[in-house]
Amino acid sequence: MTTAILIVHGLVAVALLGAITHQSLATCAPSNAKPSSFFGRFCAIPAERFANAIIVLYLTSALLGAVVYLYFKIDIQPDLERDRHWHAMGFLDLKEDFVAIGLGVLPAYWFCWRGPADSQHNHIRTILTILLAFIVWWSFLVGHVLNDIRGFGS
Amino acid sequence: MSASAVRRFVFAFGAAFALFYAVARARGLAIFTVYPAQGIVLLGTHRSREFVDPVLDFLAPEMYWYGWTAAAAVGALVVGVVATVLTERLSWVWAWCIWTVPPLAMLACVYLTMPWFRL
Repeated sequence: MTTAILIVHGLVAVALLGAITHQSLATCAPSNAKPSSFFGRFCAIPAERFANAIIVLYLTSALLGAVVYLYFKIDIQPDLERDRHWHAMGFLDLKEDFVAIGLGVLPAYWFCWRGPADSQHNHIRTILTILLAFIVWWSFLVGHVLNDIRGFGS
Repeated sequence: MSASAVRRFVFAFGAAFALFYAVARARGLAIFTVYPAQGIVLLGTHRSREFVDPVLDFLAPEMYWYGWTAAAAVGALVVGVVATVLTERLSWVWAWCIWTVPPLAMLACVYLTMPWFRL
């Protein structure tokens, strides 16, 4: 059962990673990009359409991660400590901290993306999107490394 | 609720959540402690070594993350509600806090995690 939850957690994380990366690149792309260029194609899809999906995926991923974390604490962490994977433990601590802060930011993120861009919220929208993108990328990479820790670097 | 009040609530909530999370993390202020091996949840912050010999505390690993997150959520909810009843003139404060406090809280968490990298 834990393995199934972990796999679903990973699949949701992949979908979230794609959506938030697309949105953050579209947000940061230069507005004068040529339509046929890479950034031009990114901008062609309205970035605000990703917002609700990102919120649902983030919440789902965090919930599944919170469930898997219980099993990690019992079954995996003692082995990591025994094998002295202190850096991995530190990175995981940061992952849980960043994810929690991201949860708190989600309502403001939703508010900034719920309507068309205006000058008042434009920079807040950009910063929060980049912040969430960083959290999602960090969480994905740390989760991936920890998932493969016994073969990682060997 | 007006759009202005919603804006004040979500901005204040996000900033306060990040701040309270960092404080809860630094001070060990968890609303509850989870013991996954035993399947029990205790109100407040507890350490295994309070119940068992420190040598055996790996048998009852404690988890604070859920309690820290809940503590931050409760504190942020209060701040968010207060922000909605405060004057609109203060909304620039919340708009400023929402993009400055979360990154600073993340940096604080990096600082608090440094001991893992010194082992």
